[in-house]
Amino acid sequence: MNKKIECYNPVIYMLRSMVGLIFIVFVSLVALVGFSYYLSETPDKTIYYFFNGPFLSLYDFGNMINMAVPLIIGGLGISLAFRSGSMNIGGEGQLYFGALIATLTVIALEPLGRAGAVIAIFVAMMSSGILAGISGVLRYRWNTNVLITSFLISNAVVLIVNYLITGPFDDPLTNLFSTQPIPETAELSYILPPSNLNTSLIVAVAAVFIIHALMYRSRTGFELRMYGDNPRFAKYAGVNVMYYQIMPMFVSGAMYALAGSLSIFGTYHATIKDFSSGMGWNALAVALIARYRPFAVIPAALFFAYIESGARSAMLYSDVTFELSSIVQATVFFLVSSVTLQRLGLKKRRI
Amino acid sequence: MFPIVQMHSIVKVYPYTLLKANDHVDLTLNEREILSLAGENGAGKTTLMKILYGMEEFDEGMIEVDGKKVNISSPLDAARLGIGMVQQHVTLVDEFTVAQNVVLGKENTVHHLLYDERKNSSKVATLIEENHFSVEPDALVGSLSVGEKQQVEILKMLYRDVRVLILDEPTAVLTSQEIDALFSTLRSLQSKGVSIILITHKLHEILEISDRVAIMRQGAMIGTYETSLVDEQSIGRMMMGETAAVPAKILTSIDSDRIVLSVDHVSIERHNQKQPLLDDIHFDLFRGEILGCTGISGNGLGQLESVLLGELPISKGKIFYHDTILSSEHKRARTREIGLPFVPSDRLYTGSSLTAPVSENMIATSREKFFPPFGIRKRKIQAYTRQLISRYKIKSEPYQAIGTLSGGNIQKVILAREIEKVKDVIICCEPTWGLDASSASFIHEQIIKLRNSGIGVLLLSSNLDEIISLSDRLLIFSRGAVVARFGVGEVSTMTKESLGPFLLGKAVRVKRGKM
Repeated sequence: MNKKIECYNPVIYMLRSMVGLIFIVFVSLVALVGFSYYLSETPDKTIYYFFNGPFLSLYDFGNMINMAVPLIIGGLGISLAFRSGSMNIGGEGQLYFGALIATLTVIALEPLGRAGAVIAIFVAMMSSGILAGISGVLRYRWNTNVLITSFLISNAVVLIVNYLITGPFDDPLTNLFSTQPIPETAELSYILPPSNLNTSLIVAVAAVFIIHALMYRSRTGFELRMYGDNPRFAKYAGVNVMYYQIMPMFVSGAMYALAGSLSIFGTYHATIKDFSSGMGWNALAVALIARYRPFAVIPAALFFAYIESGARSAMLYSDVTFELSSIVQATVFFLVSSVTLQRLGLKKRRI
Repeated sequence: MFPIVQMHSIVKVYPYTLLKANDHVDLTLNEREILSLAGENGAGKTTLMKILYGMEEFDEGMIEVDGKKVNISSPLDAARLGIGMVQQHVTLVDEFTVAQNVVLGKENTVHHLLYDERKNSSKVATLIEENHFSVEPDALVGSLSVGEKQQVEILKMLYRDVRVLILDEPTAVLTSQEIDALFSTLRSLQSKGVSIILITHKLHEILEISDRVAIMRQGAMIGTYETSLVDEQSIGRMMMGETAAVPAKILTSIDSDRIVLSVDHVSIERHNQKQPLLDDIHFDLFRGEILGCTGISGNGLGQLESVLLGELPISKGKIFYHDTILSSEHKRARTREIGLPFVPSDRLYTGSSLTAPVSENMIATSREKFFPPFGIRKRKIQAYTRQLISRYKIKSEPYQAIGTLSGGNIQKVILAREIEKVKDVIICCEPTWGLDASSASFIHEQIIKLRNSGIGVLLLSSNLDEIISLSDRLLIFSRGAVVARFGVGEVSTMTKESLGPFLLGKAVRVKRGKM
């Protein structure tokens, strides 16, 4: 047999692997333009503000970056979990729950000031970590499907959190369904006023380095990837199966909680009902686009934030509703889940 | 004699391994004949038949049915042409009745909508009666014995009016009474006009049942012969080819104080089945020897590997590594946690991670050397991989995904990785299965080198050439039990022919107690 062995050049491979992604982004933006003409009376204006809106002022630009922060942090957790084969899709609940726990803890620990905020974030991460970890334990113990358990648990938790916010912990002083505001000492400081961008960005960037090191520069990461690639092989090589079914779930839950609590401490300053709606799913889509590589999570998250803030300004200056962004995001989400599309630029492999 | 199926110059190359499973193979099946397709494990028999049944694509060649060129790209196409195949492993729904299984996919319905229980059941009952089968149409398949399940598989084919029936090693799991019943069924089918291809490697069955025999070896068709004109010896010789030169054996005696691995009366019992999967297996492995274990597939070698890998818990007995207990009753063996060097038979899915680079596969079972408490020793990994690649003559680069290598090179990576961590024992399962001759002999050299340096090698292999030429002592498995033991000096006097009766469970040679 004179078959050439596929040569591996990392740079060319990376470029080739981008082809599918560029195609997906292109299709989704074409869909956007199409829908603008269909839905809007002033399509030119809609399209102009959609693409340029985020760059028209420092305020818009800062808000866009700020929107990317929870997506980066959540996306990192999901990258780690999915890379190890733990399909955690309960991000909505884990993020929301974490945010509420952080808010309540920081209010209770007000006398401790900044230390209270740190403790609150830690407690929130632990709680959501355990919440997600339950699915991992169920999988290890009874071989349940993480995809389903994490989703169901998350849905239930969203309802419980809604009840807590609108019931026992509702702040009677506001018209919103919301908890009491967090103490001012716990609020993160702004980086780019008047926008909402705050110091949580630093945490997000640091998290990228930490998760990258964990996944690609440590024994744990090596074993985790091994388990994700081929569980049979990992088991054969003596990898602790229990650990890699539970730990990635825990870490991704904790990262969602971190994303949620930083949103509260930096942007919202109280847990408002449904503030995080969609964040969990978007972070998951970000991880899918980034193909679970921590450094690729940043541009993927920025892309999602760009679409969202583009839609915001199109809504403000033209006549479309905010749902336009959901259409684009949904298109991306839908297309990016296709492995065939992702491998568009790569050579076909006969299986 | 009218040829019903003709396969012309079929070529099939497996991706990943680039193994040439069929190399310009020709095969003709005549109307109303029973044709045996014979050959050793990995000769390409099953692949050829899967091609005919539309389960595998082929790269070159042509298939004719009734003298017309046909395109068979799925089992559905094959069924339309009246070709049916009974797989080696039964594929039935345990929770369904016999009748439901038989009609599945071609049910009689009421108004094209509802399943017609009575009609289906009575049709299958008639079919059973016509063919003198023993199963009940309303019995649950889960409650049947293996032989009865096979009857159901054949019924499935008859219900679909097949003209060509392919059976893949149907006798491997049957008792001798069941085999007799199967053969009389096949003869009556033949008299009704069905043409039958029987994949087998049992010589006496070929002579007993078939009109002609087609013999394959290493992917090539050696020839097709009238059964009345050949005998067991000549078929055997054609199946196995010229026997490879036997490497010199150094070992003449075994130091019995140096036991490394000891399997102590291990059994695996099955729920609701009398015949255990493993039946009181008992042996010790010493330093500086190759202990061979062999048997026909389905007779316990696979289970022994699963037990040693820690996949299957054992029902009775114990396994020791020196004085450490690896496994005891109802436990899985801790072989992998302890990290004993192990070359698994499933090299693609258990032995390697196909999408990961060669370097990561190379360090997978000795991770502790390359990961300090924090961080990774990238340079050390690269250097280590390059060193092993050159020492074991592997054709690859460290960063290449291992799935892009050939089967021989993948196996060399696995072997290199495991040999590097050998202390005093290594377990090798089917180390050369499906490999080309040069890779195989390279691997044999490595195994002999290990033995000569005082390592205990447990070799599980269904390749008799390999077993006879490498083993110092030999255990033969049949129906889950060790039926014959050959000690030092005895193995080299054995030939494949003389092992035959033991492999088939027709002869027993067991000295009780330790050997």
